[in-house]
Amino acid sequence: MAIDMTTLVPGFNDTVHDSQRVFRSLLDALSRPGSIVSIDAALPNNHALRDALAARVPLAAFASLIALTDYSTPVFMERDDPMLSDALRFHASAPVTRHRDEAAFVYIDNMDAMPPLDAFAQGDAETPEDAATLFIRVPSLSEGEPLVWRGPGIADQRSVAIAGIPRSFWCERAALVAQFPCGIDCYFVAGGSLVGLPRTTHVEVS
Amino acid sequence: MSTSPEPDVAASSTARRQWMAVLARTPRDALKAAFDAALEGASAPAYDWLRAPDIGLAMVRGRIGGTGDAFNVGEVTVTRATLRLKADEGSTSVGVAVHMGRDKERATLAALADALLQTPRYADRLQALLIEPLEARIAEERRRKEAEAASTRVEFFTMVRGE
Repeated sequence: MAIDMTTLVPGFNDTVHDSQRVFRSLLDALSRPGSIVSIDAALPNNHALRDALAARVPLAAFASLIALTDYSTPVFMERDDPMLSDALRFHASAPVTRHRDEAAFVYIDNMDAMPPLDAFAQGDAETPEDAATLFIRVPSLSEGEPLVWRGPGIADQRSVAIAGIPRSFWCERAALVAQFPCGIDCYFVAGGSLVGLPRTTHVEVS
Repeated sequence: MSTSPEPDVAASSTARRQWMAVLARTPRDALKAAFDAALEGASAPAYDWLRAPDIGLAMVRGRIGGTGDAFNVGEVTVTRATLRLKADEGSTSVGVAVHMGRDKERATLAALADALLQTPRYADRLQALLIEPLEARIAEERRRKEAEAASTRVEFFTMVRGE
Protein backbone atom coordinates (compact mmCIF):
# COMPACT_ATOMS: atom_id res chain seq x y z
CA MET A 1 0.00 0.00 0.00
CA ALA A 2 1.38 3.39 -0.96
CA ILE A 3 2.34 5.83 1.74
CA ASP A 4 0.29 9.02 1.59
CA MET A 5 3.10 11.54 1.35
CA THR A 6 0.84 14.58 1.60
CA THR A 7 -0.15 13.73 5.18
CA LEU A 8 3.10 12.11 6.29
CA VAL A 9 4.22 13.27 9.74
CA PRO A 10 7.80 14.55 9.87
CA GLY A 11 10.21 12.47 11.96
CA PHE A 12 12.97 13.63 14.29
CA ASN A 13 14.72 16.91 13.51
CA ASP A 14 18.07 15.26 14.05
CA THR A 15 17.56 11.57 13.39
CA VAL A 16 20.77 10.23 14.89
CA HIS A 17 20.99 12.25 18.09
CA ASP A 18 17.27 12.39 18.79
CA SER A 19 16.87 8.64 18.47
CA GLN A 20 19.90 8.13 20.72
CA ARG A 21 18.33 10.40 23.32
CA VAL A 22 15.00 8.57 23.11
CA PHE A 23 16.79 5.23 23.38
CA ARG A 24 18.58 6.42 26.50
CA SER A 25 15.29 7.53 28.06
CA LEU A 26 13.71 4.15 27.27
CA LEU A 27 16.66 2.38 28.91
CA ASP A 28 16.24 4.58 31.98
CA ALA A 29 12.54 3.80 32.10
CA LEU A 30 13.13 0.04 32.09
CA SER A 31 16.02 0.16 34.54
CA ARG A 32 13.98 2.15 37.08
CA PRO A 33 10.55 0.57 36.77
CA GLY A 34 7.70 2.83 37.80
CA SER A 35 9.52 6.14 37.35
CA ILE A 36 7.89 8.58 34.97
CA VAL A 37 10.28 9.39 32.12
CA SER A 38 9.64 12.33 29.84
CA ILE A 39 10.80 12.15 26.26
CA ASP A 40 9.48 15.52 25.17
CA ALA A 41 12.94 16.81 24.31
CA ALA A 42 13.37 14.63 21.28
CA LEU A 43 9.92 14.91 19.78
CA PRO A 44 9.53 16.11 16.20
CA ASN A 45 9.24 19.77 15.45
CA ASN A 46 6.07 21.70 16.10
CA HIS A 47 3.92 21.09 13.10
CA ALA A 48 0.23 20.97 12.20
CA LEU A 49 0.44 17.31 11.18
CA ARG A 50 2.30 16.45 14.32
CA ASP A 51 -0.53 17.96 16.34
CA ALA A 52 -3.00 15.89 14.32
CA LEU A 53 -0.98 12.79 15.14
CA ALA A 54 -0.72 13.73 18.81
CA ALA A 55 -4.51 13.72 19.03
CA ARG A 56 -4.47 10.03 18.08
CA VAL A 57 -1.17 8.64 19.34
CA PRO A 58 0.85 9.84 22.37
CA LEU A 59 3.96 11.50 21.00
CA ALA A 60 6.12 9.54 23.44
CA ALA A 61 4.91 6.31 21.78
CA PHE A 62 5.51 7.75 18.31
CA ALA A 63 9.04 8.91 19.16
CA SER A 64 9.87 5.59 20.85
CA LEU A 65 8.63 3.53 17.94
CA ILE A 66 10.53 5.47 15.29
CA ALA A 67 13.65 5.35 17.47
CA LEU A 68 13.49 1.61 18.18
CA THR A 69 12.16 0.03 15.01
CA ASP A 70 13.85 -0.78 11.74
CA TYR A 71 13.34 -3.13 8.79
CA SER A 72 13.90 -6.20 10.97
CA THR A 73 11.32 -5.42 13.67
CA PRO A 74 7.69 -5.99 12.68
CA VAL A 75 5.22 -3.70 14.43
CA PHE A 76 1.69 -4.69 15.32
CA MET A 77 -1.07 -2.18 16.03
CA GLU A 78 -4.17 -3.31 17.83
CA ARG A 79 -6.17 -0.64 15.99
CA ASP A 80 -4.88 0.12 12.54
CA ASP A 81 -3.84 3.77 12.29
CA PRO A 82 -2.75 4.76 8.76
CA MET A 83 -1.04 7.92 9.96
CA LEU A 84 1.14 6.05 12.44
CA SER A 85 1.84 3.08 10.20
CA ASP A 86 2.77 5.34 7.25
CA ALA A 87 5.16 7.28 9.47
CA LEU A 88 6.76 4.08 10.81
CA ARG A 89 7.13 2.63 7.34
CA PHE A 90 8.67 5.81 5.97
CA HIS A 91 10.94 6.94 8.80
CA ALA A 92 12.00 3.60 10.23
CA SER A 93 11.33 1.25 7.27
CA ALA A 94 9.53 -0.93 9.82
CA PRO A 95 7.16 -3.56 8.44
CA VAL A 96 3.65 -3.32 9.88
CA THR A 97 2.34 -6.81 10.53
CA ARG A 98 -1.16 -8.21 11.03
CA HIS A 99 0.09 -11.15 13.11
CA ARG A 100 0.36 -10.54 16.82
CA ASP A 101 2.80 -13.35 17.46
CA GLU A 102 5.45 -12.17 15.00
CA ALA A 103 5.59 -8.56 16.20
CA ALA A 104 8.72 -7.27 17.91
CA PHE A 105 6.92 -4.10 18.98
CA VAL A 106 3.23 -3.66 19.66
CA TYR A 107 1.23 -0.49 20.01
CA ILE A 108 -2.02 -0.82 21.96
CA ASP A 109 -4.29 2.13 21.60
CA ASN A 110 -7.09 1.03 23.88
CA MET A 111 -6.54 -1.08 26.96
CA ASP A 112 -10.14 -2.36 26.83
CA ALA A 113 -9.50 -4.02 23.46
CA MET A 114 -6.29 -5.62 24.69
CA PRO A 115 -5.81 -9.23 23.58
CA PRO A 116 -4.49 -11.77 26.12
CA LEU A 117 -0.80 -11.23 26.82
CA ASP A 118 0.16 -14.73 25.69
CA ALA A 119 -0.94 -13.79 22.15
CA PHE A 120 2.41 -11.99 21.81
CA ALA A 121 5.89 -13.44 21.39
CA GLN A 122 7.47 -14.32 24.75
CA GLY A 123 10.86 -15.44 23.43
CA ASP A 124 12.19 -18.84 24.37
CA ALA A 125 14.80 -20.04 26.82
CA GLU A 126 17.68 -19.55 24.38
CA THR A 127 16.47 -16.29 22.87
CA PRO A 128 14.44 -14.41 25.49
CA GLU A 129 15.29 -11.19 23.62
CA ASP A 130 12.81 -12.20 20.90
CA ALA A 131 9.92 -11.29 23.19
CA ALA A 132 7.58 -8.49 22.17
CA THR A 133 7.75 -5.03 23.71
CA LEU A 134 4.37 -3.41 24.27
CA PHE A 135 3.56 0.29 24.17
CA ILE A 136 0.23 0.72 25.90
CA ARG A 137 -1.64 3.99 25.82
CA VAL A 138 -3.17 4.93 29.17
CA PRO A 139 -5.11 8.04 30.24
CA SER A 140 -2.69 8.91 33.05
CA LEU A 141 0.52 7.66 34.65
CA SER A 142 -0.18 8.94 38.16
CA GLU A 143 -3.91 9.15 38.77
CA GLY A 144 -4.89 5.49 38.86
CA GLU A 145 -5.21 3.03 41.70
CA PRO A 146 -1.79 2.78 43.44
CA LEU A 147 -0.16 -0.65 43.26
CA VAL A 148 3.05 -1.85 44.87
CA TRP A 149 5.90 -2.72 42.47
CA ARG A 150 8.98 -4.67 43.57
CA GLY A 151 11.96 -6.09 41.78
CA PRO A 152 15.30 -5.16 40.18
CA GLY A 153 15.74 -1.41 39.81
CA ILE A 154 13.44 -0.63 42.75
CA ALA A 155 15.20 -0.11 46.09
CA ASP A 156 12.53 -1.58 48.31
CA GLN A 157 9.12 -1.03 46.90
CA ARG A 158 7.44 1.65 44.89
CA SER A 159 3.85 2.71 44.61
CA VAL A 160 2.78 3.24 41.01
CA ALA A 161 -0.66 4.53 40.05
CA ILE A 162 -1.23 3.97 36.36
CA ALA A 163 -4.82 4.63 35.33
CA GLY A 164 -7.03 2.53 33.12
CA ILE A 165 -5.40 -0.89 33.55
CA PRO A 166 -7.91 -3.68 34.17
CA ARG A 167 -7.21 -6.19 36.90
CA SER A 168 -7.16 -9.02 34.39
CA PHE A 169 -4.01 -7.54 32.83
CA TRP A 170 -2.09 -7.72 36.11
CA CYS A 171 -3.23 -11.32 36.67
CA GLU A 172 -2.17 -12.40 33.17
CA ARG A 173 1.14 -10.70 33.66
CA ALA A 174 1.71 -12.32 37.05
CA ALA A 175 1.24 -15.69 35.36
CA LEU A 176 3.99 -14.82 32.86
CA VAL A 177 6.50 -13.73 35.50
CA ALA A 178 7.14 -17.40 36.33
CA GLN A 179 8.47 -17.96 32.81
CA PHE A 180 11.53 -15.74 33.31
CA PRO A 181 13.80 -15.18 31.33
CA CYS A 182 10.94 -15.22 28.84
CA GLY A 183 8.23 -12.62 29.26
CA ILE A 184 6.97 -9.32 27.98
CA ASP A 185 8.27 -5.82 28.62
CA CYS A 186 5.73 -3.01 28.66
CA TYR A 187 5.74 0.74 28.49
CA PHE A 188 2.68 2.69 29.61
CA VAL A 189 2.45 5.87 27.60
CA ALA A 190 0.51 9.08 28.18
CA GLY A 191 1.26 12.22 26.17
CA GLY A 192 5.00 12.89 26.18
CA SER A 193 5.84 10.61 29.13
CA LEU A 194 6.04 6.93 29.82
CA VAL A 195 6.60 4.37 32.57
CA GLY A 196 8.57 1.17 31.98
CA LEU A 197 7.50 -2.22 33.31
CA PRO A 198 10.16 -4.86 32.59
CA ARG A 199 9.38 -8.56 32.79
CA THR A 200 11.31 -8.83 36.07
CA THR A 201 9.04 -6.55 38.11
CA HIS A 202 6.51 -8.06 40.49
CA VAL A 203 3.28 -6.14 40.85
CA GLU A 204 1.23 -6.88 43.93
CA VAL A 205 -2.45 -7.08 43.19
CA SER A 206 -4.36 -7.00 46.41
CA MET B 1 3.35 7.48 -4.15
CA SER B 2 0.20 9.49 -4.54
CA THR B 3 1.78 12.91 -4.64
CA SER B 4 0.79 14.44 -7.90
CA PRO B 5 -2.45 16.40 -8.15
CA GLU B 6 -2.60 15.98 -11.94
CA PRO B 7 -5.40 13.76 -13.21
CA ASP B 8 -3.28 11.98 -15.77
CA VAL B 9 -1.14 9.92 -13.43
CA ALA B 10 0.60 7.75 -16.02
CA ALA B 11 1.75 10.67 -18.17
CA SER B 12 2.85 12.75 -15.20
CA SER B 13 4.85 9.90 -13.72
CA THR B 14 6.69 9.38 -17.02
CA ALA B 15 7.50 13.08 -17.14
CA ARG B 16 8.60 12.96 -13.53
CA ARG B 17 10.85 9.99 -14.21
CA GLN B 18 12.48 11.93 -17.04
CA TRP B 19 13.24 15.04 -15.02
CA MET B 20 14.46 12.98 -12.06
CA ALA B 21 16.88 11.20 -14.37
CA VAL B 22 18.16 14.57 -15.56
CA LEU B 23 18.51 15.89 -12.01
CA ALA B 24 20.34 12.75 -10.91
CA ARG B 25 22.96 13.13 -13.64
CA THR B 26 23.70 16.83 -13.15
CA PRO B 27 26.67 18.04 -11.10
CA ARG B 28 25.93 20.42 -8.27
CA ASP B 29 27.36 23.60 -9.82
CA ALA B 30 25.35 23.24 -12.99
CA LEU B 31 22.23 22.41 -11.00
CA LYS B 32 22.66 25.40 -8.71
CA ALA B 33 23.33 27.84 -11.56
CA ALA B 34 20.34 26.65 -13.57
CA PHE B 35 18.09 26.61 -10.51
CA ASP B 36 19.03 30.17 -9.52
CA ALA B 37 18.45 31.32 -13.09
CA ALA B 38 15.05 29.63 -13.18
CA LEU B 39 13.93 31.27 -9.92
CA GLU B 40 15.08 34.67 -11.27
CA GLY B 41 16.43 35.90 -7.95
CA ALA B 42 13.28 35.02 -6.00
CA SER B 43 14.01 33.13 -2.81
CA ALA B 44 13.38 29.41 -2.84
CA PRO B 45 9.94 28.39 -1.51
CA ALA B 46 9.64 27.15 2.05
CA TYR B 47 9.55 23.43 2.72
CA ASP B 48 9.62 20.81 5.51
CA TRP B 49 12.01 17.94 5.58
CA LEU B 50 10.33 14.56 5.55
CA ARG B 51 13.75 12.99 5.40
CA ALA B 52 16.70 15.34 5.75
CA PRO B 53 19.55 14.44 3.38
CA ASP B 54 21.34 11.34 4.58
CA ILE B 55 24.13 9.26 3.15
CA GLY B 56 24.10 5.50 2.86
CA LEU B 57 25.35 2.62 0.77
CA ALA B 58 23.64 0.77 -2.03
CA MET B 59 24.81 -2.43 -3.67
CA VAL B 60 25.06 -2.08 -7.42
CA ARG B 61 24.35 -5.23 -9.38
CA GLY B 62 24.97 -5.84 -13.01
CA ARG B 63 25.73 -8.41 -15.69
CA ILE B 64 28.41 -8.38 -18.33
CA GLY B 65 27.22 -7.85 -21.88
CA GLY B 66 23.60 -8.10 -20.83
CA THR B 67 23.79 -11.88 -20.41
CA GLY B 68 24.39 -14.29 -17.55
CA ASP B 69 23.50 -13.94 -13.91
CA ALA B 70 23.63 -10.59 -12.18
CA PHE B 71 26.54 -10.21 -9.77
CA ASN B 72 27.42 -7.61 -7.14
CA VAL B 73 29.59 -5.01 -8.83
CA GLY B 74 30.24 -3.10 -5.62
CA GLU B 75 28.79 -0.63 -3.19
CA VAL B 76 28.26 3.02 -3.99
CA THR B 77 27.54 5.87 -1.63
CA VAL B 78 24.06 7.23 -2.13
CA THR B 79 22.52 10.45 -0.82
CA ARG B 80 18.77 10.68 -0.49
CA ALA B 81 16.42 13.42 0.59
CA THR B 82 12.65 13.92 0.74
CA LEU B 83 10.94 17.24 1.34
CA ARG B 84 7.44 18.64 1.20
CA LEU B 85 6.56 22.17 0.18
CA LYS B 86 4.66 24.18 2.76
CA ALA B 87 0.97 24.53 2.02
CA ASP B 88 1.15 28.32 1.52
CA GLU B 89 3.16 27.74 -1.63
CA GLY B 90 -0.10 26.62 -3.21
CA SER B 91 0.65 22.92 -3.20
CA THR B 92 1.98 20.36 -0.78
CA SER B 93 3.88 18.46 -3.41
CA VAL B 94 6.64 16.14 -2.28
CA GLY B 95 10.12 16.18 -3.81
CA VAL B 96 12.43 13.21 -3.74
CA ALA B 97 16.09 12.91 -4.70
CA VAL B 98 18.34 9.86 -4.67
CA HIS B 99 21.84 10.41 -6.01
CA MET B 100 25.15 8.68 -6.21
CA GLY B 101 27.77 10.43 -4.13
CA ARG B 102 27.87 12.30 -0.84
CA ASP B 103 26.67 15.75 -1.85
CA LYS B 104 23.81 16.74 0.46
CA GLU B 105 23.40 20.19 -1.04
CA ARG B 106 22.94 18.71 -4.46
CA ALA B 107 20.31 16.28 -3.14
CA THR B 108 18.52 19.22 -1.50
CA LEU B 109 18.47 21.21 -4.73
CA ALA B 110 17.27 18.25 -6.75
CA ALA B 111 14.51 17.37 -4.28
CA LEU B 112 13.34 20.98 -4.27
CA ALA B 113 13.38 21.08 -8.07
CA ASP B 114 11.39 17.83 -8.16
CA ALA B 115 8.76 19.26 -5.80
CA LEU B 116 8.49 22.55 -7.73
CA LEU B 117 8.21 20.77 -11.06
CA GLN B 118 4.97 19.27 -9.75
CA THR B 119 3.41 22.64 -8.95
CA PRO B 120 1.51 24.48 -11.69
CA ARG B 121 3.15 27.74 -10.65
CA TYR B 122 6.74 26.69 -11.33
CA ALA B 123 6.42 23.70 -13.63
CA ASP B 124 6.68 25.39 -17.06
CA ARG B 125 9.42 27.80 -16.10
CA LEU B 126 11.58 25.14 -14.47
CA GLN B 127 10.98 22.73 -17.31
CA ALA B 128 12.19 25.34 -19.83
CA LEU B 129 15.01 26.92 -17.82
CA LEU B 130 16.24 23.98 -15.77
CA ILE B 131 15.43 20.59 -17.22
CA GLU B 132 15.73 21.30 -20.95
CA PRO B 133 19.18 22.94 -20.86
CA LEU B 134 20.49 20.26 -18.51
CA GLU B 135 19.01 17.53 -20.67
CA ALA B 136 20.71 19.04 -23.73
CA ARG B 137 23.95 19.18 -21.80
CA ILE B 138 23.75 15.51 -20.85
CA ALA B 139 22.91 14.55 -24.44
CA GLU B 140 25.85 16.63 -25.69
CA GLU B 141 28.19 14.98 -23.20
CA ARG B 142 26.99 11.56 -24.30
CA ARG B 143 27.52 12.43 -27.98
CA ARG B 144 31.04 13.64 -27.21
CA LYS B 145 31.89 10.40 -25.40
CA GLU B 146 30.39 8.32 -28.15
CA ALA B 147 32.41 10.21 -30.75
CA GLU B 148 35.53 9.71 -28.68
CA ALA B 149 34.88 6.00 -28.42
CA ALA B 150 33.89 5.72 -32.07
CA SER B 151 37.31 7.01 -33.23
CA THR B 152 38.98 3.99 -31.63
CA ARG B 153 36.53 1.53 -33.05
CA VAL B 154 37.92 -1.58 -34.73
CA GLU B 155 35.86 -3.23 -37.43
CA PHE B 156 36.24 -6.96 -37.71
CA PHE B 157 35.42 -8.56 -41.02
CA THR B 158 36.28 -11.72 -42.86
CA MET B 159 37.74 -11.69 -46.34
CA VAL B 160 36.12 -14.23 -48.51
CA ARG B 161 38.55 -15.76 -50.97
CA GLY B 162 38.10 -17.75 -54.15
CA GLU B 163 34.74 -16.65 -55.41
